[in-house]
Amino acid sequence: MALKVYVDRMSQPSRAVLIFCKVNGIDYEEILVDISKHKHVAPEYKAINPMCQVPTVVVDGKFKLFESHAILIYICCAFPGVASHWYPSDPFQRSKIHSVLDWHHSNLRQSAGVLVWNTILAPRHGLPLKHPLVAEESEKLLVRSLSKLEDFWLKDGQFLVVSSQPSIADIRLVCEIMQLELLSEKDYDRILKPYKKVVQWIEDTRRATAPHFDEVHGILFKVQKRLRKRMATEPVNYNHLKSKL
Amino acid sequence: MTLKVYCDRMSQPSRAILIFCKMNGIDFEEITINILKGEQHTPEYKAINPMCQVPTIVDGDFTLFESHSILIYLSCKYPGVASHWYPSDLVERAKVHSVLDWHHANLRRGSVGVIVNNVLLPLNGLPSNPQAAEEAEKTLEKALAVLETFWLKDGPFLAGRSQPSIADLNLVSEVMELELLSEELHDRILSPYKKVLQWVEDTKSATAPHFEEIHGVLFKTRKEFRELMAAKSGKTE
Repeated sequence: MALKVYVDRMSQPSRAVLIFCKVNGIDYEEILVDISKHKHVAPEYKAINPMCQVPTVVVDGKFKLFESHAILIYICCAFPGVASHWYPSDPFQRSKIHSVLDWHHSNLRQSAGVLVWNTILAPRHGLPLKHPLVAEESEKLLVRSLSKLEDFWLKDGQFLVVSSQPSIADIRLVCEIMQLELLSEKDYDRILKPYKKVVQWIEDTRRATAPHFDEVHGILFKVQKRLRKRMATEPVNYNHLKSKL
Repeated sequence: MTLKVYCDRMSQPSRAILIFCKMNGIDFEEITINILKGEQHTPEYKAINPMCQVPTIVDGDFTLFESHSILIYLSCKYPGVASHWYPSDLVERAKVHSVLDWHHANLRRGSVGVIVNNVLLPLNGLPSNPQAAEEAEKTLEKALAVLETFWLKDGPFLAGRSQPSIADLNLVSEVMELELLSEELHDRILSPYKKVLQWVEDTKSATAPHFEEIHGVLFKTRKEFRELMAAKSGKTE
């Protein structure tokens, strides 16, 4: 099956799909849709995905699919050679994967990505910052989400569902948290350090998908280095990220 | 042991589960968790679902929350469930997953925001945030436009399907929640979207008589809310 994957490696769900394909040796063509250059709203891309978002996959030139959770599930089932721990056939484990992926939308996704977008990336793209309350609400939700990961989703094992091996849910949610690497080092440590299980889980997922995890995150770390260098010389007011966390 | 469904008929995803179970003749015990009375925050319910949300199902030793996940689990567990609810063909199934995922940040987010800002906050005497209200309405209108021009472009049901899937149940239940708005606001928001309105009717017909029965509480509450809002605006004039 011919697989085209339309992505931007700065996008959390794009990275999840790429890492998954590489770990499972799935043959695909990666096509960059550069969000910072507004390529996602260009007519050529809109014809592929009218929602103008990444990632999208096109299978055999015909079937177009978007939404990263749907994409990951489809690839698990449609492509041979994918190990069963990524999307187990056991109905209870599979249901838990669906459950955490659904929870993700309104919790981690709505907080980590939104916080970084509103405080770091939107200004980088020349977009106006939203009301400070938006960033404040995102932080509160992020703290609640990280607590739920620490106390509930990771209480039974190393990974979210199949306790000793990662599933598509682990790759997807860890890629979301990785976006926080764009914050200053101080804020990143302050936000994440209290959550020991979460920090360990990120490391376990990274190791389980090595070397692809680091390779796919390469651009994120390049941007992080540039941003942190700029933060060191031109400090921006991050007051909303202080002791409230 | 009978399947237990913890729900509130005022909750959109709860209604989707109840309609699905009744349509498919699934034996279950409905246990009401009254959201307006805050029963989702009791220690007893928190022990069942630490997220303190409805719906949750308990099937023997197995507890599950998040309505999309529940609908998929029930579709696969009960052999009598017709295949159109959760197709076995991988491409069709992927389309159902895709619209269910899209739903979270689009129809769901917009609809909940509009209802909170236009109904729940004013009824509780709390100020609504005009910026949040405006954004919620924009999100909702964008979602309705995407339903009209994309998700419903190829068939009576979502993703070009000729029979309803679990996605139709979930998303139509969400649209139905807008019945809580004033008649004027409800009509202003929904009337431009002819396909959406037809789709709601088609889903209602396909799940009769359970759809109307399960939505009974919502219609009763709509009447009460509209009377309360009218009384409030009468008082402020």
